[in-house]
Amino acid sequence: MNKKGTLIAVVVAAVLILFPFIAPKFQLRMITEIIIFTLFAMTWKMMLNEGGMFSFGHAVYFGLGAYASALGWLHIPGLSFLSGIFLGALAAALVAFILGAFLVRMSGTYFALLTLAFNQLIWAIVWKWRDVTGGDDGLGKFPKPDLFGLSMKNPVTFYYVTLILIGACLYACWYFTKTPMGNVARSIKSNEERAKFLGFNVQATKLIFLTLLGFLAGIAGALYAQFQEFIATSVIDGMMSTNVLFMAYIGGTGYFWGPIIGSGIFVYLSEYLSSFTDRWELILGLVFIAVVLFAPQGIMGLIQKKK
Amino acid sequence: MAAGIGERRIFRGCGFPAVISAGEDRNLGERNESMDALASTIVIQILHGLAYGMLLFLVSSGLTLVFGMMSVLNLAHASFYMLGAYFSYQMLKWVGNFWIGLLVCPILVAGLGILMERFLLRRVHAGGHVQEFVLTAGIAFVVMETVKWIWGTEPLPVPIPALLSGSVNIIGNVYPAYRLFILFFSLVVLAFLAYILMKTRLGITVRAAVSDRDMVSALGTNTPFVFMLVMGIGTWLAGLAGVIAGPFISTYPGMAGEILVDCFVVTVTGGLGSLGGAVVASFLIGQLSSFGILLIPRFAIVFAFLLMAVVLIIKPSGLFGEKG
Repeated sequence: MNKKGTLIAVVVAAVLILFPFIAPKFQLRMITEIIIFTLFAMTWKMMLNEGGMFSFGHAVYFGLGAYASALGWLHIPGLSFLSGIFLGALAAALVAFILGAFLVRMSGTYFALLTLAFNQLIWAIVWKWRDVTGGDDGLGKFPKPDLFGLSMKNPVTFYYVTLILIGACLYACWYFTKTPMGNVARSIKSNEERAKFLGFNVQATKLIFLTLLGFLAGIAGALYAQFQEFIATSVIDGMMSTNVLFMAYIGGTGYFWGPIIGSGIFVYLSEYLSSFTDRWELILGLVFIAVVLFAPQGIMGLIQKKK
Repeated sequence: MAAGIGERRIFRGCGFPAVISAGEDRNLGERNESMDALASTIVIQILHGLAYGMLLFLVSSGLTLVFGMMSVLNLAHASFYMLGAYFSYQMLKWVGNFWIGLLVCPILVAGLGILMERFLLRRVHAGGHVQEFVLTAGIAFVVMETVKWIWGTEPLPVPIPALLSGSVNIIGNVYPAYRLFILFFSLVVLAFLAYILMKTRLGITVRAAVSDRDMVSALGTNTPFVFMLVMGIGTWLAGLAGVIAGPFISTYPGMAGEILVDCFVVTVTGGLGSLGGAVVASFLIGQLSSFGILLIPRFAIVFAFLLMAVVLIIKPSGLFGEKG
């Protein structure tokens, strides 16, 4: 990261740290949601931009993270906050690994379609397996354990914990792009054949990459479960997969800051528009179309072009 | 499914009504005791599956043609199906004749499809798959919200035309005539489509473009114009399916999402771009959902997706696909 990037990161971090002191309560809730979705959108963007894989079923990892951790908190007595999140992330990573074993052999549209098929398959199982998941009624009333003696029921504490956890995950994402393996993943994206000829194990790299991103998306999902204190099949359905795609795309999939800005705009727009019109989803849809037509590189693309 | 639950979701599977909808003959369940109950249940179930399968075919044939030619996975395709159903509802209200709606509405829908291709899809085609995905998803979003805005979220019943409101006796079962109409009408459309594809100049061009677009373009065909036509035909088929689906499963904002997922299963299983594959896969999925709901009602929906995943894993190009 260059000097300017570091500066922006520091400023953003400072604003986020001071945020609870300057903003009213309901905005704190919104920004917490934005931060959670930032990580989710970042994993999607990483998959596309660093790995060249277009995922159309990304809600699987997010949703399984949410469900696994919620079930953990519900059924394992005394499961701590962080262990619950870890459990969710682990479940998501495990499923990402299993699905990934099939996915890495695909490319292009077929990859996207298989992710869609898996998403629908797992969504349908979650939806219909009422005994465990609660089906349409969802899961609620799972405990919200304290962390280091701090009550997570306090929105400010929850905000800081979310910020630190997700900040660390985002840093890990950024760090990954600088590692040798990150380079290999990018080389596969730009030319899979050539990477293969250079002796890299393409499928293994993709699989590890997928599992890693599944883990991170699982963390976002688990946090989301605690944030909402309730989860339903909407965390794992195709709509969620579409939403994350929108978030990453609005911000710009080619830029590190893209998903961060994108999830901010997406959540803010949904909240803001829905506060004064019932037709907010229509406006949101029109915004997507406008972004595709006029800013194909996303908002970040527009900003970069102006410079 | 109640409109309240499914309306916001673009994707939802298996919209096949296991129970006969209110508009249809309520005597359907009554069986002639003298007949072998099992055999007649199977026949009825096969007919159900065929009717839904044909509906699926009408929608997914457009999807698969458009994909074959333009490599565009049109997420908004099912929205045209929904528009067909709503237009038909409106037409029925204004004109009071189902058959005029059947003639006019698909053409209106096709017009919208052509406009979408010309002014939206074509502009982002160079941008690749991600852009097309987001664009068509955005359009699906907008169509659904507009439909909710104009017609509300409640399911709107479309009466079955008087001519077909009766029922037919099939080996001791009373079967709604309208479902048989769906079956035969779709077969006629299928024959028509096959004729166009196999025998006309347009069909030859389309088939050539499916196998090698650049070559066809280099040989002097105006491929963008052919794309537009194919898009028009595809959306016309979707609109047609929507019109005849109205009285069958009633008209509601979630109907697009429900059939879209099934159509994806059909197109992928049959092979992207393969019309023959779409026929076979529609038949398969129709029977699968018909018997699945009868035998294992709870997890019936899972099997279609499982089939799609398994086919993709074993043969990514689908049962009849050539590429991939």
